[in-house]
Amino acid sequence: MNALPYLLEGLKVTIYIFVIAIILGFIIGLIMALLRLSPIRALNWIAKIFIDAIRGTPILVQLFFFYFGLNSLEFISFDRTTAGIITVAINAGAYFAEIIRAGIQSMDKGQTEAARSLGLTGTQNMRYIILPQAFRRMLPTFTNQAIISLKDTSLLSVIGIADLTQQGQIAIAATFKAFEIWLVVGIMYFLLIYLLSLLSSFLERRFELR
Amino acid sequence: MTMIDVRNLKKSYGKLEVLKDISVEIKEKEVVCVIGASGSGKSTFLRCLNRLEEITDGQVIIDGQDITAKEANINKIRQEVGMVFQQFNLFPHKTVLENIILAPMKTRGTPKTEATNKAMELLDKVGLKEKAGSYPGELSGGQKQRVAIARALAMNPKVMLFDEPTSALDPEMVGDVLEVMKQLAQEGMTMVVVTHEMGFAREVSDRVLFIDEGVIAEQNVPSELFTNPRNKRTQAFLSKVL
Repeated sequence: MNALPYLLEGLKVTIYIFVIAIILGFIIGLIMALLRLSPIRALNWIAKIFIDAIRGTPILVQLFFFYFGLNSLEFISFDRTTAGIITVAINAGAYFAEIIRAGIQSMDKGQTEAARSLGLTGTQNMRYIILPQAFRRMLPTFTNQAIISLKDTSLLSVIGIADLTQQGQIAIAATFKAFEIWLVVGIMYFLLIYLLSLLSSFLERRFELR
Repeated sequence: MTMIDVRNLKKSYGKLEVLKDISVEIKEKEVVCVIGASGSGKSTFLRCLNRLEEITDGQVIIDGQDITAKEANINKIRQEVGMVFQQFNLFPHKTVLENIILAPMKTRGTPKTEATNKAMELLDKVGLKEKAGSYPGELSGGQKQRVAIARALAMNPKVMLFDEPTSALDPEMVGDVLEVMKQLAQEGMTMVVVTHEMGFAREVSDRVLFIDEGVIAEQNVPSELFTNPRNKRTQAFLSKVL
């Protein structure tokens, strides 16, 4: 089947965008979660507005806003891949922020009290005591969001990014085999997501709380 | 020499006044037990001594340092004030040894080998040397509490605060923990112990404070307070628990 090289090319782009976006998204989420929990009101609000704005609008609209909207401004210009990565990263970031916040808040207060009573600072407590435990608990929810984000990357085809979905369309235009190609595209996404959940359960076992 | 000087300590949660004007001096090497009914404010009192509870009014001075002062470095002060909790609060993701060496390494920059040597010494002291590599989840309650004591001692505190250290333990575990505390008292540690263990209070403490409705209703040496309580509320409380 001469469509396969197209699809593999698209798969590479999908993986590339997903990996960068999910890492950025995690960093955004962590920062926003910490701002959200900060005792400083103004920081709370920044995080809250960010999270609400992203969760309250469709990702497709965000994508159009970042790519067409921002790009129409004179002083901003970025390519479609950048716009795509930003969209998926920011979207994942907003959801990660809430997952991380909930994870931190679900921790037993005694842990913080013990750490602080030993003289650890608030930051040290977060870094050595709270976050390592909270992340283990959050892993299944993280995986869930990562899977959603991976699927979201297929939307990027609408601004012409040559991801797996877009390459599928191109391959169909060349071969007229819609059934076979969408089936294969679907299987590729499925396998990717399956790998992701395998990785997640491996990590869960590896970091199981003893 | 006064180690802990509490002056007119008040603590309120909103309108609820939990501690109403508590003043007490605790000398160096003194062992003070704090008794009282649940809800009397005794745990809150203890938690004010290292500012785990923010103080509404009054002063707490530990070893000459006003911990309530605005310029006080509370993290520094807490390094000198060990605390042991009812629920142990060990860090479940770290081994026993890691639990103990974390604070000295992170707060004081103690080198790992030095912190480890000290930790092993302390584990030996509480009789748990062989558990250094275990995780808290693998220990019994009594073992956890002894590790928690070792963890607090690793900071070389000037004062140790105990918040009902045996209340969450199975009866057969209580003895081991009290034994460690007794040894600590004999070594001259300044200790404030909130407890329901009247036997321990009677045997080990130099002085017993009876807290009731947010005030120190009565305080005395244990032999006096337990056999000859003067306050009616102390009498009522003791008749229920003894």
